[in-house]
Formats: sequence, C-alpha cells, structure tokens
Amino acid sequence: MKLITATPWGIYSVWWRHFQVYRSTWLVNFLPPISEPIVYLVAFGYGLTPLIGDVEYLGQMIPYPQFLAPGMIAIGVLFQSFFEGAYSSFIRLNFQKTWQALLTAPLSYTDVFLGDWFWAATKGTIAGTLTGIVAVLANLYDLSSLVLSLPLIILGSLLFGAFGLLVAGTVNKVDQVNVPIFLVVIPMFTLSGTYFPRDTLPPLLARFAGLLPLASLVDLLRWPLGLPPWWPLLLLWLIGWMVVLARLAALRIYPRLFS
Amino acid sequence: MADALSLTAYDLWKTYGDEAVVQGVSFTLAPGEIVGLLGPNGAGKTTTVGMLFGTVIPTKGFVQFGPWQLPGQGQLARAQMGIVTQEDNLDPDFTVFKNLTHFAHHYRITGAAARQRAGELLALVNLEHRADAQVDELSGGMKRRLVLARALLNQPQIVFLDEPTTGLDPDARQDFWRLVQQLKAKGCGILLTTHYMDEAQRLCDRLLLLQQGKVIDEGTPTDLVARVIGRAIAEVEGVDPALLKDLAARHGAWYRAFGSAHLVTLPDGDPETLWAAIAAHQPSRLVRRPANLEDVFLRLTGSVLE
Repeated sequence: MKLITATPWGIYSVWWRHFQVYRSTWLVNFLPPISEPIVYLVAFGYGLTPLIGDVEYLGQMIPYPQFLAPGMIAIGVLFQSFFEGAYSSFIRLNFQKTWQALLTAPLSYTDVFLGDWFWAATKGTIAGTLTGIVAVLANLYDLSSLVLSLPLIILGSLLFGAFGLLVAGTVNKVDQVNVPIFLVVIPMFTLSGTYFPRDTLPPLLARFAGLLPLASLVDLLRWPLGLPPWWPLLLLWLIGWMVVLARLAALRIYPRLFS
Repeated sequence: MADALSLTAYDLWKTYGDEAVVQGVSFTLAPGEIVGLLGPNGAGKTTTVGMLFGTVIPTKGFVQFGPWQLPGQGQLARAQMGIVTQEDNLDPDFTVFKNLTHFAHHYRITGAAARQRAGELLALVNLEHRADAQVDELSGGMKRRLVLARALLNQPQIVFLDEPTTGLDPDARQDFWRLVQQLKAKGCGILLTTHYMDEAQRLCDRLLLLQQGKVIDEGTPTDLVARVIGRAIAEVEGVDPALLKDLAARHGAWYRAFGSAHLVTLPDGDPETLWAAIAAHQPSRLVRRPANLEDVFLRLTGSVLE
C-alpha cells in the first residue's frame, strides 16, 4: 500500500468523525480549557504577583500575570493536543479499533493518520484559543494579538499532536503513556519559561530548556511583549520538530495496521 | 448495481520471517457467488482476507478486483467492497443509527441520503427497533448484523465475511445466514471464512479447504464430499481397531480412529457388504450417517476443524 495517497475528503471525513464525538459531549470538552487557565491565572496571577511583582523579560519589566498569560496559552495547546494524540488515539487504535474500521472504508492510511492528527491539533487549537480568550477577558492579552497568534497556536497544536501520536504508536499499554508524560511533558511545561523566565535557571539548564519546543512556542506567543532577534529560528525549530515528529508517528503507527 | 465485478487472487503468499502463513492461494470470486475459505484456526484465512482488501501486503502475488489491483489500489477498490472483519470495531461513541450515518460519510453519503440508507439497512438486518441504542447495549448477534449493515452502506459488489458467526448462538447464526443468502440473491459476490462445517455446507457454492496456508482441495461442498469420502460413513465403537482397519482395506474404504469411535467409509457402489461385515463383529455402537465436510477435512488433513 502506498503510504501517501491522501484525499481532502478522506482526511476531512476522519476529522469529522472525531468532531461528532466531541460535539456530543462539547460541554465536558469545553470545561478544562476554560477552567484550567482561570484557576492558574487566579492562583498564580493573584497569588504570586504580590510576592513576585514584575518580572524581567527581554530587558523590560512586565507585570507577572501578563508574563504568565502566553505561557498558559501554550500549556493549553500542549496538554490538549498531546493528550488527544496520545491517549485518545491509543484507545481508538488499540481498544475501539476505530483506525481498523476506518480502513475498511475507501480511506488510505494517510487519510486516517492525517484526520487523527489534525483532530488532535484542532483540540489543541480550541484549548489555546479559549485560554487566550480568558486572557483577553482578564486584560492580559489583546484580542488582536490573539487573532494574530492563531497560526502559532495551530503550529504548536500540530507539533504536540504529532508527539502524542508518536507516543500512541510506540507504547504497548495505555499506562505506558505516563512515561513520556513524566519524562518529557512535565519537565517541558515547567521549565520552558511558562511560569518564570528561563534565565533564572542555572545556565546549562536554561540552555537545555530553551531547546524544548514548548520554549520556542512560549517565546513566540509572547511576541506582544517583544521577540528575541533570532525569532525566525524559533519558528523554523517548531516547524522542524513538527515535521520530524509527524513522520516518526506515521512510521510507528503504520505497522500496527498493516502487516 | 453497476456492472458486476469479479475478484481474482493470483498466487498469494505471505511470510512473516521464516514462517509462510499463506502459500500460493489463487481463486476467483464471481458476482452472485459465495466462496468459502474453510480451515481450522491458524490456517491463514484471515491473512488471506486481509490481502484481498489491502491491510495485509502480500509477500508475492496480487489481487485483481475489476479495474483495480491490490495492494496498490486498495483504497479505490474498497469503494466497491463491503468488509466484515472478525473483530467488532463498531463505534462505541455513537448509537446504532449514527454508527451507520457517520460511517456513510466516509463513502460521501451524507445528510438525508445517509439517513435513508441507514434506515433501509437497519430494516434489512432487523435492527430498526434498536436504532437509538448504544452499541454496548446490543447482543453479539445484533452487533454482527450491525457490522454487516455498515459493510453494505456503499452497496458493494463483493462482501468479505471473516468468521462472521463465531460466538453466536444458533438462532443468531440462522439470522445471519438468511442475510447472506439475501445478498447473494442480489448478485453480490461473497467470500466467507469459517471453521463451521455446517455454515460452509449450507451457504457456499464453492469451497477452498485451507491448511497451513495452502489450498489442499477445492470444489462444491457436494462434490468435495462425494469425491473425497463418498455418500455414507459408518461410526463404530467396540470393535478391535486392527480388525476394522483390515476390513476397510479389503473393501477399499478409508478408516480413521476418531476419539473413542472409528470412522469407516462405506463404498458408494456396495455399502451393504462392508456394513454387514462390521455388524458381524457386534460393535457396541454402529451408526450409518451421510458423509460431511468434517469427514473430508479429517481425511485430507488428518485433523478436525476447530
């Protein structure tokens, strides 16, 4: 079977199937991306701001909640797209056998893979956008900035959705999804400059943290506060990660469906 | 139905490492025909079906279905295929009705057309009354019927049924058989894999007997039984096996120990002489019955279907 034989309808059809499931429980699905940033912004923003005050970012002093808001958007993107790609796709692949059922229809592997991936990215985009709207309502991010940040939110969602799919195609038991969560996701979301500027870390650790894809996403999402001069490289870095992770994920899942 | 398409498998081989799971399987499935792949578990039936619709890539050989050649054009070919896999992969997130309407979307059947087709198919498989049920609420037989309905959404030219009645109770099996016969009457070509001898005998126009990935014989069920075994068989208990074996050899019959009993074919030309000879040894049990596919398989392979 040829690996790349995708049709727009095929991809859309798979995506649409996942959207129908989401739509049937939309209230539950909307809750985490709205409640989480509110909780975090209240807890960290109001709780820590009196202790921290302003933070230094790119040579200027920024009120802590304003610094935090783009980080929260990035975390929403990371969690929703990763978990959809890792847990939900694993379940569809190994328990519900949804992928196998889809391949009895006139869909190619690429259709099914891209449909699943784009759905994971859609969930990340919804989460990032909702978090952004909360930040806009809290006067921590401009609405126009949020609109202009949408391509970045989508790019981040594609990247972390691909990472989730790679995990789904690699682990053999659902519990094993916890391994990359503890080894990669948690260190990434805590160290990438989401909650505090990375230059407060020891230099070596700060350099390592700066290489994590979430760090690039957070730095780019903070563009209203300023961008480092090498920001095009950050963008390329994210695109590179996305391409590599998606390719690896496709290669890992393929043998689970075809022999 | 559009111009009827036939499917031909050309010398299909599948090996995993050193193990050859399918070895040179070739056959043709014509429109309106039911071809059965009959064999025990592990004979290579499911692997063969996988090669027919494109999820198992043949090590050698190919499949021609109408203008499409598989595995390369599996996606196009599947637009005219209906596939019932062994596993129940119904969508637990949807109701019975939505399992059909949402799956129809993959065939570009949407909106009112999808709802109408789903309604027709639920009527066909007698599940109209469970349209709003969740899949988990269905019995095993109902689930199989729903999978069949899903496989018919695109009005396929051929349907693959991979052990469709495994685990079903006798009533549910009868229901399923009735549906299969209706499909055949509509001109649908059907490939059925099964290890149930009665199912194969009842449904199939032609059978391929598979053992260890090889087709060991093929023909109509009646032809296979007549050619390999003959019309009748004697089941004997309580007679010295050596004696029975000798009797069978002298009458040109086939003998086989089978559990606590012994099987001896009764020659079509003169069954009575051998029957009387066996009876003369006063067996504790002596039964004459028509030969069947189980006997064929036992004679050809030395093992039973299970």
